[in-house]
Amino acid sequence: MHSIIASLAGWGVNVAIALTALHTNLMRSILTTLGVMIGVFSVILAVAVGNGAQVSVTQQIATLGSNMAIVVPQPDSGSGPPRPNDRGRLTERDGQAILRQVSGVRAVAPQIRNSVQLVTPGRSATTQATGATPEYGIVSNVNASEGRFLTKSDVGSAARVAVIGQTVSDKLFGDDSPVGQTIRVNRVPFTVVGLLESKGSNLGTDNDDQIVVPITTLRQRLLTTPTQGPDDVTLLFVGFEDEDALLAGQKEIKSLLRNRYRVQKGKINPFTVRTTTEIAETTGQVTQIFQAVLVAIASISLLVGGIGIMNIMLVSVTERTREIGLRMALGAKRSDIRNQFLVEAAVLCIIGGAIGLFLAMLAAAIFQKVADFPAPVGIDTALLSVAFSAVIGLLFGGYPAIRASRLSPIEALRSE
Amino acid sequence: MTIPLIETHDLLKDYEIGGEVVHAVNHVSLSVERGEFVAIMGASGSGKSTFMNMIGCLDVPSSGTLLLDGIDTKSLDSDQLAEIRNRKIGFVFQQFNLLARTSALDNVAVPLIYAGVGYADRRQRAQLKLEAMGLGNRLENTPAKLSGGQQQRVAIARALVTDPLMLLADEPTGALDTQTSLDIMGIFQKLNDDGITLVVVTHEPDIAEYAARRVVFRDGKIIEDEPVKSRRRADYHA
Repeated sequence: MHSIIASLAGWGVNVAIALTALHTNLMRSILTTLGVMIGVFSVILAVAVGNGAQVSVTQQIATLGSNMAIVVPQPDSGSGPPRPNDRGRLTERDGQAILRQVSGVRAVAPQIRNSVQLVTPGRSATTQATGATPEYGIVSNVNASEGRFLTKSDVGSAARVAVIGQTVSDKLFGDDSPVGQTIRVNRVPFTVVGLLESKGSNLGTDNDDQIVVPITTLRQRLLTTPTQGPDDVTLLFVGFEDEDALLAGQKEIKSLLRNRYRVQKGKINPFTVRTTTEIAETTGQVTQIFQAVLVAIASISLLVGGIGIMNIMLVSVTERTREIGLRMALGAKRSDIRNQFLVEAAVLCIIGGAIGLFLAMLAAAIFQKVADFPAPVGIDTALLSVAFSAVIGLLFGGYPAIRASRLSPIEALRSE
Repeated sequence: MTIPLIETHDLLKDYEIGGEVVHAVNHVSLSVERGEFVAIMGASGSGKSTFMNMIGCLDVPSSGTLLLDGIDTKSLDSDQLAEIRNRKIGFVFQQFNLLARTSALDNVAVPLIYAGVGYADRRQRAQLKLEAMGLGNRLENTPAKLSGGQQQRVAIARALVTDPLMLLADEPTGALDTQTSLDIMGIFQKLNDDGITLVVVTHEPDIAEYAARRVVFRDGKIIEDEPVKSRRRADYHA
């Protein structure tokens, strides 16, 4: 017990000696600390941004809807999320065939997407219009928080009605309720019948910046470029009963469409079928790589910070060789000298780490506010980084410290 | 008969310079009893400092035996040697070797850190030694704010703070003027009267006359070892 107290007291002395030494070369200490600070700052921020990206992607995929397959008329040339507006064809009739012939399908939501200009008296906005059917609401879990969603008769009569997102509503109507108001969509007057439930934004994509209109109305009145056929669609959302049905259904959709388009054996599909599960996996992998790259780059700056520590500790040992000799003459053991310099390096690193952590948390908070991007800094990240910087200190301070402790007392004393 | 405090047999220290072996200390046998006041003299390069460094456990002999307080130092590891330096030996250097930007009190307390003495105790003991050196009103002064004589007295207080058996002083007056040198020798004589063993390395013959025994080195060997005949006394005023 006594020896534990004595050794703790010994460390306390070392901290005092270290602080004195660091204070003596204040400018140098600050600059050295800066290196570690920047390193820890970037590592924490990289981890936070990476975590944020993962959270964001998960949310984004959740807003798409679950147990869903997305069919796009784009040749299936590999992985990655499908993009609309590529070559190939897909029609509403394909969707009806899928609904009839593929088992476990709950609903099929054909969509046409098009960029549109919105005008109200005194205001305007550009947004994306989705031409859809009521099934879109079912498959993609989209509801109206005010007013109503599209109905079958809206689609049947190609009614000029629109359900608009929160962002669009804010831009055009401010705090007023949009329901019942008239907007001009590409100069065509539409009546707003509902306000979409807010889905927030992820990764810079605002899910509320859109309007939904009947697919028939969009096709007849809002298309700027003509389609190949009368019932071409940009994509189909196919909602399944459950995950098992989705897995089996993906294959069934593929073979059904191959038949319908008479794709010969060995040729690639002119369409792509992706499930939300696949998309989640692929994007998850992408964000993981993204995070790994970020952290790797940030780690380099931490490494450079560590080398800075080692450099300055070597200078410190050389400068203070005489002091080391004196301390040895006065009774310092090798371990005393080693610990003195280790503590000095660790103090530099821990101070740098703590400041870096603080600044990273600050930056993450600002980032979150300004860019509307989650960048969570967890307690685990915080503790890890401070521990990490202490380890950097011990690692990079270790060599100079051991070198100092190996000096012969008389040679150290004689040095100038 | 008591055992000598310092005892060397055939002590040898070789250096290799440019492929040539130099015997800095060449088979020296010497014994110093408790309570002695020895002046070691010699020209520079005579081996007196090398000899001093070995008996101070700062340097390791090439061969031969060194017994300190009856302990054969050959069997000791670096930690044990550190402990001997800490507990049994006090060093006084020509250039004082005080830590810059550190108060007199903290300077004096340094050896007590390595002796494992607690903070409050350290300060109290350091203060007592400084007061005994007449520096009770200079406790918080840094070396830069002390005269050469005052700095050397801080260094002596530091050497004494662990209550060692012997004081080893290497040219302690080398950086001081005549009057201050006399003051330091006065302090040494007082300490010796109080029972401390002193070994002082000097190249000044008149400084050696304040010691009780004079040992002269030349070319790594002792050529003269006799009591100081007309010993001088310096006043002690702390």
